[in-house]
Amino acid sequence: MDVPKVAKSLPGVDSVSKIDDTTYEGALTVRVGPIKLNLQGKIILEEQNKSDWRAALRAEAKDRMAAGAVNGKTIMNLKEISANMTELVVETDVNILGKIGEFGQPIIRKKADSMLKEFVENIKKQLSGK
Amino acid sequence: MNKKIKFRVNGKRHEVEVPTNRMLIDCLRYDLGLTGTKEGCSVGVCGACTVLMDGDMISSCLTLAVMADGHELTTVEGLAKDGELNPVQKSFIQYGGFQCGICTPGQVVAATALLKENPKPNEDEIKDWMMGNLCRCTGYYKIIESIQKAHQFAK
Amino acid sequence: MIPFEYRTPKSLKEVHATLKEFGGDAKLLAGGTALVIMMKQRLVRPTCLVSLSAVRGLNGIEIKDGGLSIGGLATHRAVESSALVRRRLPMLAETYHHVATLRIRNMATVGGGLAHADPNQDPPPSLIALGATVKATSATGSRTLALDEFFKDYYETLLNPDEIITEVIVPKQAPNTGAAYIKFLPRTADDYATVSAAAVLTLDKTMKTIADVRIALGSVGVTPVRATAAEAVLRGQPLKAEAFAEAGEQAKQAVDPVSDFRGSAAYKTDMAAVFVRRALEKALADIRQQAKAKAAPKPKPAVKKAVKKGKRR
Repeated sequence: MDVPKVAKSLPGVDSVSKIDDTTYEGALTVRVGPIKLNLQGKIILEEQNKSDWRAALRAEAKDRMAAGAVNGKTIMNLKEISANMTELVVETDVNILGKIGEFGQPIIRKKADSMLKEFVENIKKQLSGK
Repeated sequence: MNKKIKFRVNGKRHEVEVPTNRMLIDCLRYDLGLTGTKEGCSVGVCGACTVLMDGDMISSCLTLAVMADGHELTTVEGLAKDGELNPVQKSFIQYGGFQCGICTPGQVVAATALLKENPKPNEDEIKDWMMGNLCRCTGYYKIIESIQKAHQFAK
Repeated sequence: MIPFEYRTPKSLKEVHATLKEFGGDAKLLAGGTALVIMMKQRLVRPTCLVSLSAVRGLNGIEIKDGGLSIGGLATHRAVESSALVRRRLPMLAETYHHVATLRIRNMATVGGGLAHADPNQDPPPSLIALGATVKATSATGSRTLALDEFFKDYYETLLNPDEIITEVIVPKQAPNTGAAYIKFLPRTADDYATVSAAAVLTLDKTMKTIADVRIALGSVGVTPVRATAAEAVLRGQPLKAEAFAEAGEQAKQAVDPVSDFRGSAAYKTDMAAVFVRRALEKALADIRQQAKAKAAPKPKPAVKKAVKKGKRR
């Protein structure tokens, strides 16, 4: 799996660079109105199973100005439904820590939902070659 | 960065140089030594930091010191005149409107502003006005009573 | 809070020039009650605060074309206590009275509140139901925006970064119009609502048919929401006992609340229906009350307490 390509499918990802085979460094900007978070952190490829078409990514990021931190885990699974239809199942578990978590729980959740929707749309586009 | 601000507090003129990010409550307490105003929640909810700006109640924990430039402030220290407590303060003592006292400066400042606008408020009017001044000790009964009876001490 | 520059321009022209000087890192400051909390928590970190406090002429409340014109810098307190607003649009005065505490209302401005765009706020649903528009002014001119399209997302509006809300215009309401705003408070009186509903109802001359209706809800999504489906089942219909309950049920389609400590999404959705129905009932009662007052012999006007004119900060 091309981790940088997948990571860049998440809206707001500014950069992804490789550290080693399973670790990448990334920067993500999230905006909610006047609030701007500059998250910097690591993406770790925990599992990559080509025979199962399954991948698990773990991410840990901190806001530069210490307003909070985000850590999450994503499991992606490709399932063949028919000859020309594949289902992509994305399971994400995200924890938001610190000030943004405490202050913006409902806001962040809505924002996270919309980001994930966009992420899945982007992955779909890439996988279907459009 | 710093800014020079000029304002009146309890009738006295002050000129202070403050960083732009100093809160009014910190300016009052630390730059001017007026420690009567207390900081409870820091988010404008509890009312312990209540002061009057041009006669109107504000949360000094949510106001930047620079925003007070050119204005007239009243803190709890400014309620008494020539050593004599104002009617609200006298009433709070007479009717037991306080226990630990931490919310009391905010309560009496807020109540003083109320009585200026409405000298004989009824219970509903008191509750409506004082709604943002929280108290953990008294259960509010004596605070309401003190405010309701403060007119007894008015000249 | 990180250090920042503080400027107090004396005219809108100067405000725009200062904003241009600092670009995207400057933030406008009106009452400051929302912005300063976010700055204290380091969620917003402007390099310059451009205070509007020294700009004159933006805090008036007056009659305009039979409706109301409220300056963007008028405080919440000025609106709630204005004799003009209380007489002509008491529902709007009541709405502004519902906001937080008096300390906040003494500082928070009408324009600042709308620009902040928290979907839990009280004024937006009422203003939307009244058909209000805002005037947004930038260095290159002004534009008028309908409030029911103004809110885009949590804390996001149609405003460009250099635009200031200089005026909120509430149009003249049709005859036989009643208005109501109901706030479902979860715990304390100074909190945001679990759900809130504003309804402005207009009956025709016979007082038996609904000529027009506008319904808006707060705390039901990432923006305040206008319940157009609910309006559709009422507009042009005869006044029926069950009509309002039906409209309430339709309102559920428009909402997508967030579960938080004020209530679960499911509960808020159910309550949206209940409070829309209650707001409509209250608006109807308002129409009937007004009709009665008009028909009754004119009593001596009640002596209202002298109210302080809104202060500019």
